[in-house]
Amino acid sequence: MDTLKPRDAKDVEGAVRAAIASEQPLEIIGHGSKRTIGQVMATNAVLELSALNSVKSYEPNELIITVEAGAPLADVKSLIDSKNQRFAFEPMNTAPLLGTLETGTIGGMIAAGLAGPRRIQAGAARDHLLGAQAVSGFGDSFKAGGRVVKNVTGYDLCKLLAGSWGTLAVMTEATLKVMPKPESERTLVLRGLADAAANKAMTAALGSPYDVSGAAHVPKSALRDAAGALGGLGSPGEALTLVRLEGIIASAVDRAASLARLLSRFGAAETIEDEHSTAIWECVRDVEPFAVKGPLGGWSVWRIVCPPAAGSVLGDRLVREAGADVLYDWGGGLIWAAMAPKPDAHAALVRRLAAASGGHATLLRAAEEVRRQVDVFQPASAGVAALSERVRRSFDPKGILNRGRMTRG
Amino acid sequence: MTIMMPAPDHAVLSRRPAIVAALRDIVPGEGVIDTPAEMLPYESDGLMAYRQPPMVVVLPDTTEQVSRVLKYCFEQGIKVVPRGSGTSLSGGSLPLADAVLLGLGKFKRIREIDFDNRVVVTEPGVTNLAISQAVAHAGFYYAPDPSSQIACSIGGNVAENSGGVHCLKYGMTTNNVLGCEIVLMTGEILRIGGKAAESAGYDLMGVITGSEGLLGVITEITVRILQKPETARALMVGFAEVEAAGECVAQIIGDGIIPGGMEMMDKPAIHAAEAFVHAGYPLDVEALLIIELDGPTVEVDELIKRVEKIAQGCGSTVCLISNSEAERNLFWAGRKAAFPAVGRISPDYLCMDGTIPRGALPKALARIRELSEKYGLRCANVFHAGDGNLHPLILYDANQPGEMERAEAFGADILRACVELGGVLTGEHGVGIEKRDLMGEMFSDVDLNQQQRVKCAFDAQGLLNPGKVFPTLHRCAELGRMHVHAGKLAFPDIPRF
Repeated sequence: MDTLKPRDAKDVEGAVRAAIASEQPLEIIGHGSKRTIGQVMATNAVLELSALNSVKSYEPNELIITVEAGAPLADVKSLIDSKNQRFAFEPMNTAPLLGTLETGTIGGMIAAGLAGPRRIQAGAARDHLLGAQAVSGFGDSFKAGGRVVKNVTGYDLCKLLAGSWGTLAVMTEATLKVMPKPESERTLVLRGLADAAANKAMTAALGSPYDVSGAAHVPKSALRDAAGALGGLGSPGEALTLVRLEGIIASAVDRAASLARLLSRFGAAETIEDEHSTAIWECVRDVEPFAVKGPLGGWSVWRIVCPPAAGSVLGDRLVREAGADVLYDWGGGLIWAAMAPKPDAHAALVRRLAAASGGHATLLRAAEEVRRQVDVFQPASAGVAALSERVRRSFDPKGILNRGRMTRG
Repeated sequence: MTIMMPAPDHAVLSRRPAIVAALRDIVPGEGVIDTPAEMLPYESDGLMAYRQPPMVVVLPDTTEQVSRVLKYCFEQGIKVVPRGSGTSLSGGSLPLADAVLLGLGKFKRIREIDFDNRVVVTEPGVTNLAISQAVAHAGFYYAPDPSSQIACSIGGNVAENSGGVHCLKYGMTTNNVLGCEIVLMTGEILRIGGKAAESAGYDLMGVITGSEGLLGVITEITVRILQKPETARALMVGFAEVEAAGECVAQIIGDGIIPGGMEMMDKPAIHAAEAFVHAGYPLDVEALLIIELDGPTVEVDELIKRVEKIAQGCGSTVCLISNSEAERNLFWAGRKAAFPAVGRISPDYLCMDGTIPRGALPKALARIRELSEKYGLRCANVFHAGDGNLHPLILYDANQPGEMERAEAFGADILRACVELGGVLTGEHGVGIEKRDLMGEMFSDVDLNQQQRVKCAFDAQGLLNPGKVFPTLHRCAELGRMHVHAGKLAFPDIPRF
């Protein structure tokens, strides 16, 4: 299979135009760290963007950075970290969960629409992508959005690009919002709560005025024998409920005390500070208990998004009816469910339960033969599916870009 | 009028009595308005320089009626202009002579308040402020707060992706909306998103938000609500030079502080506001900042001190800190009344809405001063300084021949300058008809064609709100045509491995 490594946006245009002329669909990758997510594609050439990796401009005072799509996420994070800034949406590192060496690019982060625990407060990649340059399936480079935070000029095509898994256009450059890092963080830890009680505790925390930036629950079974789990915090046999507060020190301390009082009916909270807290949330963000290297490494993993207060009811049914191990983030609004390997990955059951709770499920990790048989992304209603397909065709009528990645054909 | 709208279709106009009758079959009673006198309130929106009576007004009150009206119009090839409260400042709901004006004013019910999931499910005709009021008893509010929030509808907010003073910290409408029920031009009813943090598949909610009523008619919206910050305090800071005020804004952000709101006014705006509301604004400064910090009391008290220090370091000549709600509201009173205050000192004014990178503020102001001299028209400036969103108010007198055209040309030059300085044509008011013909300043034909193809995916006949946003109307078939860039080599001249 051909791998093309364009040097610039012009090369990308050339590659897409040639692919149109020869009707050869392209697989679009950065580092290829998320190639195993999605339906199995029948493409015969790879367009690899890793050479488009420069930082075009970084203006800390404007809180924006413009980078080429192939820039390594880890490098860009280090760069903005050097100015004490960060991507507030806390993009996860999928490498531990998917078992890849590479940790991905900015383009991949956006195409996958990543978001971490801070989504409840700061949103996802979609909310931080201010502008982009991309090459559509017409072979033309186009611009979406701008380079300022406040912009309503024309349709917000950035929203469509984020989370489109490379099926609409090949992004070549992105302008993202960055935010100052807080001075400090505090995590309250409640031990031993059942899922339903933990869901209630997180709902109470998120409904409080204390500006919670993370609310996760790790049931005891998810920790298994991973004694070192969650940054050394996990002790097997005990569930952990985590609530994070960030800000200037005086504020974080004050809110942690107030929140501990609010949550006292659920148990006594211990407080974890700063870098210890950061380490815990990295584990939650990257779903460490289900890592490829861990005890559940061979299991399929579903990512289920649902109304947060419905989380524990849904999680409980996944555990009881499908033998899942679950981990809750976003106050219950995101459930990671690991399931023992099965040819259909329990898809019908997971989808039925997710839909019943007002949510939807993505099969994020599964063997190739499973992904050949199962819808990886939640199938939409007939009307929404038809509209989505019309939108896709408005960018890529010939299906040149990542053909068939999001829908089973 | 300097902006041309699509020519009316006389074949449609000649069928008007039949169209009115058909609409009456769908929406009985007083829901169809067809007399000139009763249609008068619908002739214009917040962009009052433009007026146009619609062919007929229809005010459905169920999703099913909206669907049937659209289906009928689709089948008959009749254009439709949706309208919420009619507060658009860019002419987004300006009627067309041969179009049905579809008002959502009867969709006034909040359908569900769900505190556990922190969402409100509402009909589109509910005002922005009414949502906050409905959840206030539990300490919640809906964060985006456009200055027209008493009147503007949440449906209009979604159509325009409205902002407000607090969007620097809490985001615009698009960051606070989770789902909707939308009716396409064909009458098809779709549900997109819901109470979950993200929807499956493409982010259709994201592209619908801010689409200015060109993609569909929204009949239900799910919004996020937040807990109200424990406290809020404001600083009023004056500077002898605009540059110093700009530097102060940059340093606050650079220090990692994101205020709830950070507004700037220039001297003409300060004077107009002070004469109107007597907020105690200093009259001898060139720029005034109103900076609001919100959050827990300990945090606000600490940040107020830090901001005060930064302001003094930047050479502020006045720096007052609110010590009560009454004082805080007084600081805001002048800024919030800036538009009507300017309305008092001039027979007419045009409110512009460009965004620039924060750092370009002094340059932008200097350009506006030059242009003010060139066009011989006064201009007062208010900005959402935290996010670089400018609202220059161009003062003119419509009764003086040629003055409105001059004001529009002045405004267009300001927006061109915004784009040149790295910014955009509109930060929160929308393109509508007002900035439609300037879209080429920011987007190439290729860019605009891609946007219009997305429009085609929702409305292939181009019947919904035509004449807005896009300077040139293309047929969808023409936009979808692919010109083949065939080359001899499969992948010419690209490194391969």
